[in-house]
Amino acid sequence: MKTLKTFVLGAGLAALSQLAQAADSGFTLETVDPEADRLALQQYYQKRFPGVPLEEYVNGIYAVDPASREQWDALMEFPPYEFDLEEGQVLFETPFANGKRYADCFDNGGIGIRQNYPYWNSEEGAVKTLEQEINQCREQNGEAPLKWKKGDIAKISAYMAWTSRDKPFDIKIPQDDPRALQAYLDGKKFFYAKRGQLNLSCANCHLDGSRILIRADLPGPTLGQPTHFPVVRSKWGEIGTLHRRYEGCHRDTRSVPLPPQSDEFRKLEYFQTYMSNGLVVNGPGARK
Amino acid sequence: MKKAAWMLAAALALPTGLVQAETFEEVFNQQRALYGKGHEFTFEGKTYKTFHPEEVEAMAEPNQANAEALIKGAKALQAESAAVGYEWRDVSRYIQQAEAAVGEQQFQRAMDLAARAKYQARMSIAQHKEVEASWYRAVPE
Repeated sequence: MKTLKTFVLGAGLAALSQLAQAADSGFTLETVDPEADRLALQQYYQKRFPGVPLEEYVNGIYAVDPASREQWDALMEFPPYEFDLEEGQVLFETPFANGKRYADCFDNGGIGIRQNYPYWNSEEGAVKTLEQEINQCREQNGEAPLKWKKGDIAKISAYMAWTSRDKPFDIKIPQDDPRALQAYLDGKKFFYAKRGQLNLSCANCHLDGSRILIRADLPGPTLGQPTHFPVVRSKWGEIGTLHRRYEGCHRDTRSVPLPPQSDEFRKLEYFQTYMSNGLVVNGPGARK
Repeated sequence: MKKAAWMLAAALALPTGLVQAETFEEVFNQQRALYGKGHEFTFEGKTYKTFHPEEVEAMAEPNQANAEALIKGAKALQAESAAVGYEWRDVSRYIQQAEAAVGEQQFQRAMDLAARAKYQARMSIAQHKEVEASWYRAVPE
């Protein structure tokens, strides 16, 4: 009988230790700790790719795969986003029909502010992205909103990112509004949750699968991923936004994809960009 | 010392024991993956075949009523998975193809397609439940 009690006690301790381990990972509003998550992610990559400086992660797969880096360096001699950047500047500076400009809608005239996006808007109770505010600016000034995934919105966003180059991301999660932390947690959950017929999460490809071949592609690390958007992807043959990429990834799992700028994708961007806090803006970028 | 050894043994035995105990679902999935559908296997002394429930439904008499009932069932599960944000890509296409097959009086084809849609919708709901319970295990610490 005594032996049985001891066995039950031991089994109970083992089960409790598993629960305690789960609680440490911060998967509830009470336990989630964004800063601990960010540091854990950095440590994961430092162990995974020893010797790669953290600041290099803004270069995606080219930070951790020398062969891909060589090709990319050659490509970047004439960056494929240069024309988009010039057009983005023209679009940004062209007045609306009412005479106002994009600069009138943003802090500091929209220059050098990319590192603060996305942010938590307590009044609206929502995560706000840069592209979302570009379109809001248009609508407030009597212009039709742009389509989310490519074209002019990506070019304007590219120009705004360009003016913020080398500024470290500084995403904040206001402590006086628990909804902000919940939005971060929702984004975190989305990132780690498996989806679609292929049963894949964002993490499967961009955490565990970093620099592991999926057919002929090498997925990049999630650390630093939002820093270089919008990007000209060779596959697209044009410039596109982060949410265009989100939609594509989501579809690639054989899910019915969420639309760009959906609540879920904005929360995902909030989580992912917070993970890149401290890394610098290097958008627009060029990727395979 | 003896007590500590027992506790250690219990702690080590618990997860191992859980892994070793195979459920019907695990055995079914293993047999299905190894041999495909319709393979005979035994579990706890009873004989089963590796058909999904939807495939068994599709074995009913191929007629319009049965085809429409399967399509209706598939649509209900599709709506359920969409409501939790876990709808899979091909379910809608299979349902559309099943409906077209009914229109062409190809009832067996319609039932096979609807069964596929219903199976995928059911699995997407199961995936959502599994994710809700376990997503945090993937987070690095």
